[in-house]
Amino acid sequence: MSTLTLQTVERDSFFTHLDFRPKLFMMATITIVAFVWENPVMECLLTLAVMLACLAVGVKFSYIRKLVVIMLPFDILLIVTQGFFAEALIRSRTGQTALTPLFTFPAHWFWVGGASMSVEGVAYAMNVVFKTLTMTLVIPLGIFTTDVNTMIVGMVQARIPYKLAFIFSSTLRFFPLLFEEIQSIIEAQRLRGLAFETMGPVKRVRVYAKVAVPLILGAMVKSQMLEVVLQSKAFSGSPDRTYLHESRLGVGDYILFAFFALFFVAAIVAYFGWGIGRFGKPVFINWF
Amino acid sequence: MGTPTLIATLDKVSYMYPRSPEPVLKDISLEIYKGEFLGVIGPTGAGKTTLCLTLNGIVPQFFGGRFFGHATVVGLDTLDHPISTLARHVGTVFEDPETQITATSVENEIAFALENLKVPREEIRARIPRVLEAVRLEGTEKKHPHELSGGQKQRLAIAAALALQPELLVLDEPTSQLDPVGAQEVFATVRELNRELGVTIVMASHAAEEMAEYADRLILLAHGALVKTGTPDELYNAVAYLEANDLRPPQVASTFSLINKAGRAVPKIPVRLEEGLQTLAAWRQKAQLHVQPPTAFPRPRIPSGEPLLSVKDLHHIYSNGTHALAGVSLDIHKGEYVLIIGQNGAGKSTLVKHFLRLLEPTQGRVLVGGVDTRTLTVGELAQRIGYVTQNPDNQIFNATVWDEVTFALKNLKYPREEVVARATESLEAMGLLAERDQHPLALPKGDRARVVIAAILAMRPEIIIFDEPTTGQDYRGAKYILEISRKLHASGKTVIVITHHLYLMPEYAERVIVMGKGTILLDAPIRQAYHEIELLNSTYLTPPQAVFLARALGDRHTYPLLTPREVAACVAGQPIEGEI
Amino acid sequence: MTIPSGEERKVKFLGGAAIDGAPVAYIVVLAAVVAALCFIPFSVILALGGSFPIAQGIFPLVGWILGPIAGAIASGVGRLIGVFVAPHTAAVPAVSVWSAMVGSFSAGVMKSEGKRKSWWLPLTIFFILEFLLFVGRAIVQNGVSPRAAFAGSFLDWSGILLFALPTRTLAARWLRHKNIGVVAAGLFLGTWMIAGVTHLTAAMITYFMSNWPEDVWVMLIPIIPVENLFRCLVGTVIGSGVIAGLRAIGIVKPTEATY
Repeated sequence: MSTLTLQTVERDSFFTHLDFRPKLFMMATITIVAFVWENPVMECLLTLAVMLACLAVGVKFSYIRKLVVIMLPFDILLIVTQGFFAEALIRSRTGQTALTPLFTFPAHWFWVGGASMSVEGVAYAMNVVFKTLTMTLVIPLGIFTTDVNTMIVGMVQARIPYKLAFIFSSTLRFFPLLFEEIQSIIEAQRLRGLAFETMGPVKRVRVYAKVAVPLILGAMVKSQMLEVVLQSKAFSGSPDRTYLHESRLGVGDYILFAFFALFFVAAIVAYFGWGIGRFGKPVFINWF
Repeated sequence: MGTPTLIATLDKVSYMYPRSPEPVLKDISLEIYKGEFLGVIGPTGAGKTTLCLTLNGIVPQFFGGRFFGHATVVGLDTLDHPISTLARHVGTVFEDPETQITATSVENEIAFALENLKVPREEIRARIPRVLEAVRLEGTEKKHPHELSGGQKQRLAIAAALALQPELLVLDEPTSQLDPVGAQEVFATVRELNRELGVTIVMASHAAEEMAEYADRLILLAHGALVKTGTPDELYNAVAYLEANDLRPPQVASTFSLINKAGRAVPKIPVRLEEGLQTLAAWRQKAQLHVQPPTAFPRPRIPSGEPLLSVKDLHHIYSNGTHALAGVSLDIHKGEYVLIIGQNGAGKSTLVKHFLRLLEPTQGRVLVGGVDTRTLTVGELAQRIGYVTQNPDNQIFNATVWDEVTFALKNLKYPREEVVARATESLEAMGLLAERDQHPLALPKGDRARVVIAAILAMRPEIIIFDEPTTGQDYRGAKYILEISRKLHASGKTVIVITHHLYLMPEYAERVIVMGKGTILLDAPIRQAYHEIELLNSTYLTPPQAVFLARALGDRHTYPLLTPREVAACVAGQPIEGEI
Repeated sequence: MTIPSGEERKVKFLGGAAIDGAPVAYIVVLAAVVAALCFIPFSVILALGGSFPIAQGIFPLVGWILGPIAGAIASGVGRLIGVFVAPHTAAVPAVSVWSAMVGSFSAGVMKSEGKRKSWWLPLTIFFILEFLLFVGRAIVQNGVSPRAAFAGSFLDWSGILLFALPTRTLAARWLRHKNIGVVAAGLFLGTWMIAGVTHLTAAMITYFMSNWPEDVWVMLIPIIPVENLFRCLVGTVIGSGVIAGLRAIGIVKPTEATY
């Protein structure tokens, strides 16, 4: 049970010393921009930038590769469906009536004969692929480089109510325990002679889902104990308390804020003003 | 010496939880003095926890309910002052090491209560190393609680309580979930705080031997009432009285009380091992010790034939690299009663999980009835080997006792009549037939454990494994489960028990396997194993006090005695009948 | 009862820290449950074309136990931690967290009582807007035929309908029924409607991103309801076990609980 805490990068970089607030802002900005853009080349550049930043701050390449591999089936499905069926979609975006074929199945082939994969469809799919990858990659970039304590202090200073910050940190503390409990519950089920292999799907779901029942009930019983513990430690949920750790914004933090504020404004203005970032605009699409 | 300073008082305190029909505390009057170590003893349900929570105002301010009488701590009435004010004066440590640590690092855990009380940051920074030193956890500031052992977690909880610089430290069964090493660590820490730093301690615990050793004064609770107060000598002397209250006295007290009963007058029953040994030495010096060697104990049966369970050169390496088993070989025959002991992390559970294929060998083989487990499924193995794990609540999935017991049988597709017959038989054996329509979680903890045992017995396994069945149980609860194991053994089943409570086992186990660091350190009949004191100590296990007393009986002979009754019979020169 | 000899005192019952009537400790443990269950994929139904973490089956339940606000916090924090610890468990992290919160919130609102009698109304309007954006975008902008779009969004509009109609309060009443069989029916109905509006919330955003073509809409017509049947089955099995258990233990109910 070694990986069930927040991962932290080993490298001590400029980034690990930043406050959590500018990082939150960065994550939000990149996510929104990635969401808005539909241009595959720009999305690709954004993904590359985030990926390079991840590598620069010490996120392991193997981790990034794992992310990509996990998303691969979804990505392939996307490329196939958009590649073959994107006609109406592309027409609405660029006004094109005829798409550029990438290849066409020979007409005599069963079922797929004559179907043609289009450059534009694939390009659109790539936009989605990069978009989701960017949104996922900003999380290791922002989270794996931040110590839990810094994160919580950052949350409190970002005016997130203290009760919420407390719930966040206690949940981090307790969920690995519950995860271990799940393992022992699953073991207990198997010890009652359950053989999932021989069950029909409905029965399997019914039995398997029961794992959650003792888990939740056990957790609720523990919560009463937890309340007594919190009481004995003078916890009231009030934000009027002192903090062991403090977090002050430094020059680097302000630079990061400023950079992403500018980036965000520029991206939005360019998108709504000149359509930069829309599908087919600027006409990078021809590069494919 | 001046008059002792009062720290806390209870004056005719009675308390009822919101929905309880009867008071949980009844007319308790008690004074607690500065610098004393007050032990609270009593069976489960006697009101020990409620009493502890009364001292910091959580009872009644957090729970509500009805409160009678007056309770004060350092002069503050616990009803007139908010819990947060009382928390500055009373530090509390609870039973479960996991639930009571809420922060994600050691220093944050210590800081948490101080932050809530608005102690300035610099002051918190200054206190952290001080309290860590007091509990010997220096240098662990940045560690995640997950990286600490059970004993270390409890010491962290003590450190966090100490950081408040309380006048009173209340500990509610702080060692009951720990292995022997952890329990020793915690007791040593608490004693040091009390003796060296003068911290006033109130501690509830079932650990009779340690309480006799460390407490200055004990109070005995029964059904919510304070029935006896006195020094450990005064309380643990009254062996019969304790037993009537479902409590276990230290073995040394039981032994001398039996000797006394057999006609040899013992003017003062010793309650600490050291005193018992001294008494024996004094008798010997005065040539008053006439040991009657025990009649030969029946030789342990040497099992023959094909083993039921066979482990050959078993290794297991967990995915994180821990080498949990390193070359274990072992045969268990039909009808044996085997006890497996060792610290947490010694490999006990890892070993038995291989019997059921819950873990796969990294190297080596496991055979059940001569068949390699790799050719069997967990489901098939579970029908031959019943495995009762520690927390019954993790093993309850259904909404009625009946469904719980028939759950496995239905999954195994037994015909309906067979399901009914087996479940009925199993519930009857556990005395739970009347509860068949109840929700298992509506039953008390001891009964829930029996529901799980019933559910496993319904599969009619040949081997039954109890993994730490006595942890967190009081004496009565632990004995109850062990009596079940005895019946199963008597009916021909093979029984394997894992427990830290060595003193409970002589009446049950025949063979002991001592594990340490993933290997078998010793595999011997219990009469031999319990007397391998050095070997046991090398892995931080301590045999029951009776073993030490037995060894003090003769210069040249080592009598393989295990229980107070056996030692007493030897000293008194006659078998001893009746209750103990 | 024995009569205590001490003077009876006036007890100021303070209770612990709470959010919207739910003790903070309940929220913490349920958030931890959600986070832990994010790591348990429902591999048994992988063969049916979709796998979802078991956590999805309990978002409505968390709302019914804790009430809308505390429920949304528990599910949101739990899912957020799931995403932080293992970003690969969610295709679009922000959407997973947001839809978890919407799921528990809507479940908590279902009972529609007291001061919150009319909370369902703005929520329904919000869902209808989402639906219009979702299906509207498909039909108007992306040229999907209305037939395919409506059939492909059956789960979504059936969810809104069940939520807007008195079926909402009916399911909530069933959840409180003494008979656990009736509770199970309430769980099934409730999970369907909540899963519907939750799916809509997530799909509306992901559709903005991926604009899947008509053929995919057609392909999804049978898959989504079948997958949701399993989600409802999971919700019902877990919910009935948990509610029966909570009643047996006699744990104090949060003030906004539905069960």
